[in-house]
Amino acid sequence: MLQLDIRHQAGDFVLDAAFETESGSITAIFGQSGAGKTTLINMIAGLTKPSQGYIISDGHTLFHSEQGIDVPAERRRIGYVFQEGRLFPHMDVRRNLLYGYRKNAVLDFAQITDLLDLGPMLQRRPGSLSGGERQRVAIGRALLSNPNLLLMDEPLASIDAQRRGEILPFIERLRDELRVTILYVSHAVEEVIRLADTMVILSAGQVAAVGEVEELMSRLDLFPLTGRFEAGAVLAATCQGYDAEYGLAELAFAGGTLRVAGAEQAIGTEVRVHIRARDVSLMLGRPEMTSVLNVFEGTVEIAETGSPQVDVLIDIGSPLIARITRKSMHDLNIRPGVKLHALVKAVAIDRRSLTGGAARERPQD
Amino acid sequence: MWELSATEAEAIGLSLKVALWAVLVSLPLGIFAAWLLARRRFYGHALLNGIIHLPLVLPPVVLGYLLLVLLGRQGMLGAFLFDSFGITVAFTWKGAAIASGVMAFPLLVRAIRLSYENVDPRLEAAARTLGAGRIRVFRTITLPLIAPGILAGGILAFARSLGEFGATITFVSNIPGETRTLPLAIFSQVQTPGGEDAAIRLVVISAAIALTALIASEFLARRVNWGQGG
Amino acid sequence: MRGSATALATALVFVAASTAAGAERILVFAAASLILPLTEIARAYEVKTGHRVRISFAASSALARQINAGAPADLYLSANLQWMNWLEARGKIDKASKSDLAGNRLVLVAPAGSLPAMDRFSGPTVIRILKGHRLAIADPAHVPAGMYAKQALTKFASWPRISAHLAPTVNVRAALALVERRAVPLGIVYASDAFNNRAVDVLYRFASNSHAPIRYVAAAVIGNGGSAAIGFLIELTGRKSKRTFKKFDFSAD
Repeated sequence: MLQLDIRHQAGDFVLDAAFETESGSITAIFGQSGAGKTTLINMIAGLTKPSQGYIISDGHTLFHSEQGIDVPAERRRIGYVFQEGRLFPHMDVRRNLLYGYRKNAVLDFAQITDLLDLGPMLQRRPGSLSGGERQRVAIGRALLSNPNLLLMDEPLASIDAQRRGEILPFIERLRDELRVTILYVSHAVEEVIRLADTMVILSAGQVAAVGEVEELMSRLDLFPLTGRFEAGAVLAATCQGYDAEYGLAELAFAGGTLRVAGAEQAIGTEVRVHIRARDVSLMLGRPEMTSVLNVFEGTVEIAETGSPQVDVLIDIGSPLIARITRKSMHDLNIRPGVKLHALVKAVAIDRRSLTGGAARERPQD
Repeated sequence: MWELSATEAEAIGLSLKVALWAVLVSLPLGIFAAWLLARRRFYGHALLNGIIHLPLVLPPVVLGYLLLVLLGRQGMLGAFLFDSFGITVAFTWKGAAIASGVMAFPLLVRAIRLSYENVDPRLEAAARTLGAGRIRVFRTITLPLIAPGILAGGILAFARSLGEFGATITFVSNIPGETRTLPLAIFSQVQTPGGEDAAIRLVVISAAIALTALIASEFLARRVNWGQGG
Repeated sequence: MRGSATALATALVFVAASTAAGAERILVFAAASLILPLTEIARAYEVKTGHRVRISFAASSALARQINAGAPADLYLSANLQWMNWLEARGKIDKASKSDLAGNRLVLVAPAGSLPAMDRFSGPTVIRILKGHRLAIADPAHVPAGMYAKQALTKFASWPRISAHLAPTVNVRAALALVERRAVPLGIVYASDAFNNRAVDVLYRFASNSHAPIRYVAAAVIGNGGSAAIGFLIELTGRKSKRTFKKFDFSAD
């Protein structure tokens, strides 16, 4: 468990953050560039010293300005996977991996090498590896130092989209199989939704919100921070059936049932579902003869103002957000309290269950 | 014409000894100075940089004279060294090594500093997160990565030391077998009637040694150079 | 543009003025030990005649080699006959212009206040003083002052033992500097070097017959040496100059 309350000033930039996280989970530190994310985790790692405050990890005080405690980075037992990997160029992969090695009851060299598929690379030099391979080695190296806490600073930022898809499963395995406590810094919403349980939203050096991913992502007021394009409801669902004839999976959630094409899951699998606001349409009357499979009835809770598009929060038993034009809002007279139907055109299943697999997005008609 | 006399062989041996010691003793100080200049910001940074580079721009005779004032028997440091430890450097090969070392120091520091600046300090930070204390970081990360600079700088300083004349002759004078290094031996031969043949022999040998050193420096620096990717 | 034209015109006028009335430039190569008297004589000559006198002071051996290699010196002032003869044998000197300037003597010096004077030269005493130290001397291999010193020490049968304790320098003034700096306990230099020098004490004056006669000889260099240079040479052998040499403890003819 990490407890932290720090203040730091560097030139004009002021960082002021306080939050707590649970063990054995992934907490995302989310925010735009310049929000202070890297500064924050550098302080947790001990590479930067906060102006004042405290940082306590699992009951061990790592930093406390008033008590004059500042444990040096090399004694904090915190692993750090950097954005650019930072592998040592004069050592081969094997020596890199073993650089910080500490004996560990849970993980050993063979297991990590297996988990991250590093076997074929062991004799090679970092210079000859691809970006994705380097990041896997970086993760392995940090893990082999048997850290109490693993920090990952936008580890996928400098990887191209295809490689990213290769590495994400490895990180999921860290979370699912090894139960490592991870602090994951990112400005990419898809990664956060896919990997994290809780998130801390940083904006201009301040903590804007702390909470579970599903809850924060569904809050309209946070949309400017979570990114307009990707914004939308995130909810937990359970697979309750599979229609083999039409190839449709049925996912049960608080608002009803979602039917998703092609995403075959075992019954009982828990998944996380992301419904982007831009993929939701609204209709006042009951929709008839429509190709959209997923239609839900609900009440408008909040209708934003904005132009030319507005976001509307609807309660269908679970929060759902739709993005429509202001003109439509006026024409249909959509206000809080109005009952209407939401049509969900596309559903992204962004988090797989414990059995693993790759994420796919399916349009739903 | 190409037979070496005993005194000539003596001058060559002395030159190699003086240059070798000059470099060996300057290395730790040079690495430290390069680190200071490359990695630390402090008041007097520019001043320190200027002082270290003085031997490059001051007349060598002036440097020799300064060394005499400082390290001669009655000099500020020289008197202390003799009284406390019985050590004399004036008029000895050790003094010649000091003169050479001082003159070559800026070249040494420049090469190592360049190497330092090419070492990503973020690699050192990464090593610390893996549990390495400062000494281990220096030994396993920094030192191997600045090795090409140390090698290149050391050999360059060696070659420069071989050619050192003005400061040497002013500080430790021209004593055969003790301070008469190759440049001083060449000078003496040039002054003496009938010494031209000997002078040419020594010049050719000097040039050959220096050239070999410079080529070796280039070759080694390239072989030892690690890529800095990843 | 106007500014640089004016500057150029001014420069031309200046050059013209300095070469007007036959004002010439004389280059003299002189033995290092002559620095004090020669500088005084040259300044007076410049004031009197309007000619410019530039002097390069170094060991006679070095200067002879430079002239042999074609240095544009007008006059050569050597600290001994040997190097003058060497140049003459190579046809660089105008024989007719060879003139004696002055003599000198060798002295044993020590840093001021360090040692008492000696009435006789005692080889063993000197060796004792030199234990763990060195004697500053101009390089006896080629510098006249060093060659004279070697002759004197040989006469006293001390050369073999003292030769292991030498600090040979590039010229006699450098040897003097070592004694002045207290870097060495003893040195052998010219009497003129020690004259009026508060940093050194004269411990012993070598008799003139301890060595070959120390004679300063001047000559004009063939191919250079115009009328103004000859004029200066004549001035150097004149009565006024002799007085100046005596003043600085050079012995007379």
